[in-house]
Amino acid sequence: MSSIQELLKGAFKPSVKENAAVLDQILGNSADVQKRDFLLCGKAGSPGLLCFMDGLADTTLVEAIVRALVVTGSQLNREPAELATAESIRTSLLFNATVKDCPNVREGINGILSGDTLVVVEGLDQALLVSTRGWKDRGVEEPSSENNVRGPRDGFMESIRTNTAHVRRRIKDPMLRFESMVIGTRSQTDVNIAYISDLVKEGLVDEVKSRLNRIKIDSVMESGYIEELIEDAPLSMFNTVQSTERPDKVASALLEGRVAIFIDNTPVVLIVPTFFWQYIQAPDDYYNRYWVGTFFRIVRYFAFLISLMLPSVYVMLVSFHHEMIPTSLALTIASGREVVPFPVLLEALIMELAFELMREAGLRMPKPIGQAVSIVGSLIIGQAAVQAGLVSPFMVIIVAITGISSFAIPSYSSSLAIRMFRFPLMIASGFLGLLGFSTMFFALLLHALSIRSFGESYLAPASPYRPTDQRDTMLRLPMWMLDERPGFAQDVDRMGDNQMPATPLQKGE
Amino acid sequence: MRTFLLILLFSSMLLLESSCVGLRQINELAIVTAVGIDTGNKPGTVKLSAQIIRPADARGQTGAPAGGTGQPIYSISAEGNTIFDAIRNLGRFSSRRVYWAHNFMIVLSESYARQGIRDMVDFFTRNHELRMNTWVAVTSDKPDELISTITGIEVVPGEAVDKLFRNNQVVGLAPGSNMMNLEEALLSTSAQPVVARLQLQPRGISNKKPEEHGSLKQVELAGAAVFREDKMIGWLTPKEARAALFFLEKLESGIEVINCPNNENRRLTLEFKNAHMSVKSFYENEKPRFQIRLKSAADIVESGCNVPVEQLRDAADASLEKLMKQRIENVLDKAQKQHHSDFLKLGDIFRNKYPQEWKRVGKDWNQIFAEAKFEIETNVDVKSAVVKAAGDGIK
Repeated sequence: MSSIQELLKGAFKPSVKENAAVLDQILGNSADVQKRDFLLCGKAGSPGLLCFMDGLADTTLVEAIVRALVVTGSQLNREPAELATAESIRTSLLFNATVKDCPNVREGINGILSGDTLVVVEGLDQALLVSTRGWKDRGVEEPSSENNVRGPRDGFMESIRTNTAHVRRRIKDPMLRFESMVIGTRSQTDVNIAYISDLVKEGLVDEVKSRLNRIKIDSVMESGYIEELIEDAPLSMFNTVQSTERPDKVASALLEGRVAIFIDNTPVVLIVPTFFWQYIQAPDDYYNRYWVGTFFRIVRYFAFLISLMLPSVYVMLVSFHHEMIPTSLALTIASGREVVPFPVLLEALIMELAFELMREAGLRMPKPIGQAVSIVGSLIIGQAAVQAGLVSPFMVIIVAITGISSFAIPSYSSSLAIRMFRFPLMIASGFLGLLGFSTMFFALLLHALSIRSFGESYLAPASPYRPTDQRDTMLRLPMWMLDERPGFAQDVDRMGDNQMPATPLQKGE
Repeated sequence: MRTFLLILLFSSMLLLESSCVGLRQINELAIVTAVGIDTGNKPGTVKLSAQIIRPADARGQTGAPAGGTGQPIYSISAEGNTIFDAIRNLGRFSSRRVYWAHNFMIVLSESYARQGIRDMVDFFTRNHELRMNTWVAVTSDKPDELISTITGIEVVPGEAVDKLFRNNQVVGLAPGSNMMNLEEALLSTSAQPVVARLQLQPRGISNKKPEEHGSLKQVELAGAAVFREDKMIGWLTPKEARAALFFLEKLESGIEVINCPNNENRRLTLEFKNAHMSVKSFYENEKPRFQIRLKSAADIVESGCNVPVEQLRDAADASLEKLMKQRIENVLDKAQKQHHSDFLKLGDIFRNKYPQEWKRVGKDWNQIFAEAKFEIETNVDVKSAVVKAAGDGIK
């Protein structure tokens, strides 16, 4: 292996044969490595070699290289002697869009493995790396985990360049910068850090870079790998890095002075810093009128509270604090529980687990079967379990409302976190009633207050309280009132004065 | 990481440490909705009866077949030397723990109330499970019979009586006496308790045997029991109770029937509305004097007089004024002369106005109250604007 490492460090040699031997040694005889020899300008005295990865390189582009080097060269009656440097070949013969000189082997190999084509010509001490990347992609599709009614339907996909282009199309600002780096000693995954250089919070880009540079890992399969290696609260169940499949979310985050991290081979882009409340906000809030946006945002806050607390509150009331239930409701609950053999806590845990089971099974099954699973599951849990007297009808309602509420939270990853927080709360309130519930809730709250995301308090702007940011936290005030970016951006001004529209006055008024 | 795991371990152990203290599933409780207190068979004992809900029958079939008698309530009684003793003795019959927090009412028998209710008030205010907004009533029937009677449209009879109390202003014939105002009056030196009266009346008509009129007994809320200190001393009739309601609960509306001004045999029904009573107290020559003014509007709601409204108005005003005045005089007379008990809370009004004098006379308020003078003035205005063709001349 050490010899390969040494070979990688070396430079290309003037001899095509030697270079071919080096490539053979490094790449082995992998089935997907393609080599194509040619004669520069059709002259027998100057052989050359193309090397590319089958499947990663677009063969029409490779053909164009060959045509340029062989056919065009001979048609123009060029002499190989005139083309003795890589620069002259690049500037006077090749017509591919991106061509660069490549002095050392490592760069060349990396290029080949990324889908570029390496060109070596007899007598040149440099190789040429021609960008021929082009492989079969999934087309741009609607994001599967974040749907909306009004707004753009395009979602990120697996190719990092397409993903950055999605964002560039939305922000045609020269200050929008993408900085590239490679993570993964074996996977060599491209990672791009995107930010708007005159908006981004000062020092944030350096912090992101230093955290990314820290990572020493063999491969990055998904953005989750990066997320777990850079987050501030690695032991917490809260996720302090936002992930999204929506280019519009990323673009608006960049415009607020945040940093986005694009990772190749995944449609999920990371955004830092993150606030807890962002998980409850959806792009629709901004695309619909502000009345609607505010209303549905409040609905989602309720959904959050319900999905976090409803089962625990029910368990607590029914097993400890019967006096807090109105009499008629207490009777209804008691009559439903009359034949249930389990304590409420156990009943709640069983039902919650059954629900999670159905959700997970529906997700993992092939799609056509997934529906069957949910039908069978809902029939069995909803109907038969109640009729058999295993669970009370009230508990089915509680679990169903909780489940629906947790699906109303736009961010799937954080709805998972909230779903997990439910269990400690439920167990504490099942053991100790209101006392346990409030202790556990307080512990959760203290924990959430204590964590930070890239230098920002996780619960901001609720704590620390920032009055100007309240316009877009619980409520979504009209667009003409949202004239400031969050406080950490370099430039908080985002709008002119007096943007509120009004009917123009009639003549004579 | 180590400390994190340790904290996690300890906090989960802490939960187990509590061993679910206070845990009681809701379906393991015998929820009491009404309680009756009577004197026991042996002298000095208390007989306590409780109306307990059977949830499965009170709420019908929810889910699995629950089985049962079909009766929404289960009533039991027990005796003991004190109330709490009797409650503990209830446990001899009840398979579930008796739970009091949803109790709607406490019904006292006349004999128990005449012996004194201080014990009862103490117990029901001391216990943390019991609520202060529980209704309190006195009955001349047997309390255990009263609370085990299925009454009202509500499935749970306790709930039905609760609704009666809540709507007591509609009929306006009994005070809405609950634990809170009972204790308040009992502790106060300037007022005496008055408690609503519940009675069983054969007024329910059986669907199966409608020809047997009144074969079912129903609980009626009308009238009141008057107390001096903690002992009951007599009854108020429903009409007297209504007059007392003007003093106690600022009664605003109700109906009264008077004779037609043009024909003694026909009746005119008036509904008084927005009634407002103001009581002023004076202290002259070491004697209290109360000026009572009742001002009210009224509507004609049913007229058998066969004459247009305009011709009735003045006469109706006058006779309703007279009737109201008489009612108020009656109840004042009862309080002052017959029962020697200031249950109308006139003492409160006097004390608020003359706090210094109250320090002197407060101890002997009952004697001083007996010598009080009253000026009663009623003012009724029939405002009925119903344009209803009535009378021979109009048709």
